[in-house]
Amino acid sequence: MVRQDGYQFDSFSLEVSIPPLILQNEASLWSYMQSKYGSEPWFREKIHTGCVSIKDALKFSLINPLEKLLDCKSSLCPFRIRLTYTHTKASEGVAKCSDNGGSCKRRKTGESDSIGEGTLSSSVEDESFDFSKLFPKSENEPCNFSYNCSRTPFYFGGRYLKYSRNVSQTRWIIDDERMGEASVEEIIGIKVLQACGGDNYKFHAAGREDIDVRMLGPGRPFILEVQNTRLVPTEQFANDIEKMINKEENKLVRVNNLKLVGSDGWNLMREGEGEKQKQYAALVWTSRPLKDEDFQQVSSLKDLKVAQRTPIRVLHRRSPLEREKIIHWMKMETVAGSSQYFLLHLCTQAGTYIKEFVHGDLGRTHPSIGSILGCRAEILQLDVTDIKMECFLT
Amino acid sequence: MSDHITEESNFSETKEKEKEKEKQKEQDEAEDEELRKLLLSDVQNLPSTPPSAVESNFAIYFALDFMKPRHDQYVYRHANGLCVIGLAPSHVAFKDEGGITAIDFNVGKSDRSGVKVTGKRKKNAQHFESNTALCKVSTKNDSYIVRCCVKGSLLEVNQQLIKQPELLNASIGKDTLLL
Repeated sequence: MVRQDGYQFDSFSLEVSIPPLILQNEASLWSYMQSKYGSEPWFREKIHTGCVSIKDALKFSLINPLEKLLDCKSSLCPFRIRLTYTHTKASEGVAKCSDNGGSCKRRKTGESDSIGEGTLSSSVEDESFDFSKLFPKSENEPCNFSYNCSRTPFYFGGRYLKYSRNVSQTRWIIDDERMGEASVEEIIGIKVLQACGGDNYKFHAAGREDIDVRMLGPGRPFILEVQNTRLVPTEQFANDIEKMINKEENKLVRVNNLKLVGSDGWNLMREGEGEKQKQYAALVWTSRPLKDEDFQQVSSLKDLKVAQRTPIRVLHRRSPLEREKIIHWMKMETVAGSSQYFLLHLCTQAGTYIKEFVHGDLGRTHPSIGSILGCRAEILQLDVTDIKMECFLT
Repeated sequence: MSDHITEESNFSETKEKEKEKEKQKEQDEAEDEELRKLLLSDVQNLPSTPPSAVESNFAIYFALDFMKPRHDQYVYRHANGLCVIGLAPSHVAFKDEGGITAIDFNVGKSDRSGVKVTGKRKKNAQHFESNTALCKVSTKNDSYIVRCCVKGSLLEVNQQLIKQPELLNASIGKDTLLL
């Protein structure tokens, strides 16, 4: 079956799951022996040298033949083979354990056996419960056996650029209709998924931008989690996928520095997410022509504090709060020879709403470009030009 | 003899580093150029007056002669369902000499300016009918009741207007927000 699914692997990790009934019998035998022979020295010696549990014994006996069959060694690795033995007779002990103060927090219907095993093994550790009261009855029915194999997820990290003003970051569907022509997560995720034969993907990015905002410069860090890959991705594989995505004709999205990352990738991305600065370029129109003094005034403002109430456009799904944000610096340059249009470059604290800082959101963001210049200001387009984070830069 | 050689190798090392720095600088400048080109790619046909943020993001409605003649109000409705209610420029209050002098949110059963709505689910938002009173605007000689004109829950009022009612007299001046 492993071959059938097309798994590529060079080692495997075996997991075995046995019915609670067997555990219960094992535990009752054990406590019986403990009560009967507990005082005997040979018994106590045996405890010290260690006894093999039924589960481990089963595992040991299975590993060798499996190794020979699959022609590779068993070790702790991402590729897992799980053998599940179940029995129709549920364990008596389970009900008693749960009453006995065992915390059975997850009551999933139809999965009683797997919970049973969990609570039993935790009860076995709890020595106060006297298993000797439950006598093993001889069983005539054999166990049911099922197997499956899977791989632990792989993680790709990198930076993405978004050149289109009609592509959302994640899949966005309202009333069965897709908003925008594509999404960054699908463009990247589907390619990677197909290439390494995974079951599904999860896209995690360090922050987000609106659908009509382009992501330029070095790009925004992201991590793509791929579950149950059939092939084993390598560094070369990551390079090839990156080239493939960037060769796409419509050039909506670009990927840089795609590589495999371990758990440290998460820390790099999440670390200081709230403090990281972001840089933007906005095309702004003002209701009066601007003069040199206006340019000077804007450039002179350093670490400007801005009080932003939750913008009206997101107020339906976010809490109404007033958030103080910092605009670290600003720079204006004229555009197309016009005295009322200019490109505003600014560097702000993470979480600042740029559009609202320009037009003031009906006075709910204060100060705003309009209030600083004493006129009306509108934003026509916005681009993210830099995300000042250390990760995934090479 | 060896000193001479180390000096030479140091010299060539620094030259290499300088070359690298130059290359890096050129690369950075090229990247900046590319970025600038992208940033300015759409500045060909700019309108002399672009649409305002309100015009682009809201559907603008007017309620004329609402319950009383010349009581004209506007409603800006966002795609997400939130509405901004305010006095239209043609409202009778603006015709009075001196314009609007005071605003009082303490009408009906409660002070609308004291409402504290919290959380994503907007707890404590009061339900209003279209004829519920929002506030009272006063001019030198008269006062007028401003009503809700749409059905919904009140999220916030424009606190600035309490201290600076003259803002209403300028072209900007929103009144309240509704869900």
